[in-house]
Amino acid sequence: MSLTYTPLDEIPNIHATARRAFLSGKTKSIVFRKRQIAQVAWMVKDNEQRFMEAMKADLGRPYQETEFFDFGIVYGESRMAYDNIEKWTKEQAPDFNPNWFLMKPRLKPEPKGVVLVIAPFNYPLFLLLVPLISAIAGGNAAVLKPPENTPVFSALLAELLPEYLDKELFHVVNGAVAETTKLLELPWDHIMYTGNGRVGRIVAEAAAKHLTPLTLELGGKNPVIVDPKVDLEMAARRIFWGRTSNAGQICLAPEYVLVPEESQAALVSAFRNFYHSFFPEGAKKSDSFGRIVTEAHAARIKNLIEQTRGTIEFGGDVDIAEKYVSPTVVSNVRADDPLMEIFGPVLAIVPVKDIDEAIAFINSRDVPLAIYVFSFDKALQKKVVDNTQSGAIMMNETLVTAGAPGLPVGGKGPGGYGYYTSKYGFDQFVHMRVSVNNPAWVDKLALWFRFPPYTVAGGKKIRSLETPLPPRPTDSESSISNTWVVLLATAVAAASSVAVLRAMERV
Amino acid sequence: MTTLTYTSIEDIEKFHETARRAFDSGKTQSIEFRKDQIAQIGWLLRDNEDRWREALRADLGRHPQENDLLEFVSIYTEVNMAYKEIEKWTKAHSIGFSVNWFPMHPKYKAEPKGVALIIAPFNFPLFLLLGPLTSAIAAGNAAVLKPSEQTPATSQLLAELLPKYLDNELYHVVNGGVPETTKVLELKWDHSMYTGNGRVGRIVAAAAAKHLTPLTLELGGKNPAVVDPKVDVKMAARRLLWGRFSNAGQICLCPEYVLVPAEFQDTLVEAFTEAYQRFYPEGPEKSDSFSRIVTTAHAARIKRMLDGTKGKIVLGGQADVDNRYVAPTVVRDVPVDDVLMGEEIFGPVLPIVPVKDVDEAIAVIRAKDHPLAVYVFSTDKKFQDKVFKSTKSGAAVANETVISAGVPGLPVGGVGPSGYGYYSGKQCFEQFSHYRVSLDNPGWVDTVAFGFRFPPYKPDYKKHIGSLTGALPPRPGQKSAMKVVKRWGLWVVFALVGASSALLMKSGRFAQLKAPAQA
Repeated sequence: MSLTYTPLDEIPNIHATARRAFLSGKTKSIVFRKRQIAQVAWMVKDNEQRFMEAMKADLGRPYQETEFFDFGIVYGESRMAYDNIEKWTKEQAPDFNPNWFLMKPRLKPEPKGVVLVIAPFNYPLFLLLVPLISAIAGGNAAVLKPPENTPVFSALLAELLPEYLDKELFHVVNGAVAETTKLLELPWDHIMYTGNGRVGRIVAEAAAKHLTPLTLELGGKNPVIVDPKVDLEMAARRIFWGRTSNAGQICLAPEYVLVPEESQAALVSAFRNFYHSFFPEGAKKSDSFGRIVTEAHAARIKNLIEQTRGTIEFGGDVDIAEKYVSPTVVSNVRADDPLMEIFGPVLAIVPVKDIDEAIAFINSRDVPLAIYVFSFDKALQKKVVDNTQSGAIMMNETLVTAGAPGLPVGGKGPGGYGYYTSKYGFDQFVHMRVSVNNPAWVDKLALWFRFPPYTVAGGKKIRSLETPLPPRPTDSESSISNTWVVLLATAVAAASSVAVLRAMERV
Repeated sequence: MTTLTYTSIEDIEKFHETARRAFDSGKTQSIEFRKDQIAQIGWLLRDNEDRWREALRADLGRHPQENDLLEFVSIYTEVNMAYKEIEKWTKAHSIGFSVNWFPMHPKYKAEPKGVALIIAPFNFPLFLLLGPLTSAIAAGNAAVLKPSEQTPATSQLLAELLPKYLDNELYHVVNGGVPETTKVLELKWDHSMYTGNGRVGRIVAAAAAKHLTPLTLELGGKNPAVVDPKVDVKMAARRLLWGRFSNAGQICLCPEYVLVPAEFQDTLVEAFTEAYQRFYPEGPEKSDSFSRIVTTAHAARIKRMLDGTKGKIVLGGQADVDNRYVAPTVVRDVPVDDVLMGEEIFGPVLPIVPVKDVDEAIAVIRAKDHPLAVYVFSTDKKFQDKVFKSTKSGAAVANETVISAGVPGLPVGGVGPSGYGYYSGKQCFEQFSHYRVSLDNPGWVDTVAFGFRFPPYKPDYKKHIGSLTGALPPRPGQKSAMKVVKRWGLWVVFALVGASSALLMKSGRFAQLKAPAQA
C-alpha cells in the first residue's frame, strides 16, 4: 500500500489553519474539549477491526497485541482525561500566606497553542493519540505526524481523524523526510517527538530556533538484572514476553539480561521452555508473533546476529523478504558486542560476577528508559534503585508501567525528557499562568514601604515580610566549623531576643 | 570597580568533572544533606548581607532597601519553602487506587537529573542564581552557576563565598564572558536553566540540543499594562512607576508600556507626575532610591531610544551615559510603531500608548510576542477577564506590577518567546527532577489476571482486555449516548457479579475484575 503524502506547500496552510482555529478561542470550552477527547476514543472503538488489520498489514502484529498495547491505553487515557479535566484545568491557590493572601495569588493551566506530535512506527496509535488526548485536554490545536513506514495505519488515521475531530484544530500530515523537515521549520508552541536520539537532536535543534519547548521520548538499551534466587520461571516468562511482544520493537523492551555466570544455563533453559510454550509450532507459523517493520530493519538485525560473538542458544533465523526475525536468545554476550543495540526480538544475556558488576555495567552505559529487576530480595532491589538512574524501574515485571493509569512515562538523559500520559502528559501541553489582584488599600496597610524614597522605617518593614531561615547546620565536617561556634552563638542570641521582643525586626 | 577573576578553561572542565563525580558518589541522596545545603544558602546571604548590598550598590547603584525586597526576601522565602517542603516533594507518590494495578504497587518518585547548569543575567544576580540553586539542591543535583560578567563585584563575591558555605565538590561558580560561557555550553549537562534574552536563549537551546539536554528558559518580553479609566488612577500610577523604576527598569517582569484610552491620557500623566514627585522629591539624579544602568553600553542604547522616540517626554528624559544614569522617564503619545515599542527597553522609560478602547489595547498586545506578564489596572472584573482571556502571557496580574515573582507558591515562567519552564517553589524543583516510576509485580498475578498476555494468544483474550481497559467516555451526541448507557448497564451488572464472586473467593482473585463502570 502506498501512502499519500501531504503536499509540501499544504503544510504551512495546515499550520496556519490550526493557529487560526486556536486563536478563535473555541478550545477554551471544557465541554468542547471533553467531546473531542471522547471522539478520539470512539474513533478507535468504532474502527477497531480496521486498526487491527492495519497493524497486521504494517507490522504483522497479532490482534491481541494491538488491543492490549494500543487500544487499552488510548481508552484508559481518554477516560482519565475526560473524568479529570475539570480538576486538571481548575484554578489553584498556593498555600495560605498571611503576607500575600490579600492579593489573591492564583495559578491556572492555559493551553500552549498549536502543538506538533511526531510518532514512530512501533506504537503509532498509542504514541499519537495519547499525546493528542493530553493536548486536547490542555486546550491546544494539534498536528500529528504518523510514521511513513506504517503506510496502512497512517493512511487510515488520515482518513478517520477528520471524521471524528474538529477539522480546523486537528490535522494529520503524512510523509517522510521532506515533509517532516517542512514541519520542523514552522513555529510550534510545543513539540512532542518519540523516536531515536539521532532524529531527536535534529528535532531539538529545529525547536531551538523558535524557542519551542519539547518533549523527547528516545528509548534506550534497557537492562534486566536477574537474581538467581528469584522464581526463574516467572522471570523468564515475563522477560521473554517483554522481548518478543511486537517483535521486540518497543522502546521499553528489555534489551539485555545481566545474570550471574553460574545461573546463565538455568535461565537459558527457562527461556527455551517459554519459546516452546509461547510458539508451539514455531514462531514463524504462530499468529501470536509480529514482524519487523521494514526489510531494511530485518536486514540490520540479521547483520547483528551474524556478527555477535555470543552463543546463539535458539532462534537466529531471519527471512528478510518476510520481515521475519525469530525470537532469539544469545548467551555469553560481552559489553562490546554488536548485539548491544537491537530493537528486535533478540535477547542478549550478559554473564556477570555479581550484583555490583551488574550495576557497574548499567552505569557504564547511557541512562536507559527502564531497568528491570527480577528479585524478591528487598535489599537487592533497593541497591539497584539507589545506585542507578533510569526513566522507570520495575521489579519482577517488564513493559507494563506504560499502561498503569496515572504513572507518567518519561526518559532521562539520552532517553529523553518530559512525560507522556496522565496528568503529567497534560502538564506538557499547558502553561501555568499565574495571577494576582491587589486591592488599592493594601498599599496603606502594608507594602507602602516599597515605594521610593526609601526610608529606615520602610527598610525594617521589608524585613517583616521575611520568613525565618532554617537552622544553621551544625555539621562538624563543614570546612568553616570554627567560625561557626561564634556565629551560632550570635544567631541563638539574636533568635532569643527576637522571641522576647517579638515585633521588633532585625535591621 | 572590582575586576572579576575569570575562571580558566581547564578549571571549567575540572568543575564539570568534579561535580559529575560528586553527584555519582550518591551523597546528594540524603535528604538531610540537601537540607543542610539549602539552609547554607540562606546563611550565605544572611551572614554577609552588608557585603552583598555593597556589591550590588557598586554594580547597579541599587539602594539596599530595593535589594532587601527584591533579592533577599525572595531567596529567604525560597530557602525556607524548600527546607520545609522537601520531604513532601521527594516522597514516593502512589497512583489513585486501581483494581487492576494495585497488587503491583505502582508509584513514582522525584529523582535528581544529575549535574545542572544555571546561567543568570545581571539584573538579579542573586535571586536568579540562588533561587534555582535552592531548587536544584532540593532535587538532589550537583550544580554549576554562571553569574553575569556585567556585575563584577557581585559575581566575584559569589565565587568567594559559595565554596565557604556549600559542598566544594558538588557546587561551583564559573566566572567569565563569552569564551567561558561558550566552553560551559559545550559540556554535557543534565539540565540547563538560562535567564536572559531570546538571542542568547537560542544559542543556549542549540547547544543543549546537541546533548539532548532539557532546558528552562526565562527570556522576559515586552510586558503591557492596560489602564481602565475607572480605576483608582493614583494607585495605578504609583504601582506602575514603582514597577518600571525599580532596579532602574531592569526587571524582566517590568511593565514596558501602558495602553490607555486617549481621553484618559492627561489624567494618567498627571497622576504619574504626582507619584514621580513623591518618589524623588529632590529629583531622581540626587535620590539614593534610584539605581543605575548596568553598563555604559546599555545606558547609551536606552539614550538612543529616547533620542529616537516620536512620543513626547513628559517626565525625566535625561541620560548621563558615563555615569550609567538614565532618568526615570515617562513618554506620552507614543505610536505603536515607535522605537520605544520595538525591542525591550529594559530601562527606566515608560511609554504611554493612547488607544481608542480596550479592544484596540488587546489588538496591540496580540500583535506582539507573548510577554512574561500582562498587567491590567481595573477593579472591573469583566474588564480584567476580557484582557486576560484574549491574551497569552506568563502571568496575568491585576492592579499590581512585578510582585508576582515574590509570592510564595507562584511559579515564574514565560510562554512562547518569553521562555518555558518555571522558577521558584515546587515547579522549579520539578525542573531539576525526573519522576522515576516503579512497581513490583508478584508472581501470582499471572495466575489470576495477567496470564492472558502471554502467547499463544487465545480467542477469549478480548474478555480480559475488556476488563482491563474499562469504559469509554460517553459518545458526544444524544442518540448514541443512549445506546452506550444501555450497554453499560450490562457492564455494571457484570462487574458487580464479578466483584461479589471475587469477594467470596478471597485470595487475590479480584485483581482480574473491573471496577463498576460509571454509567
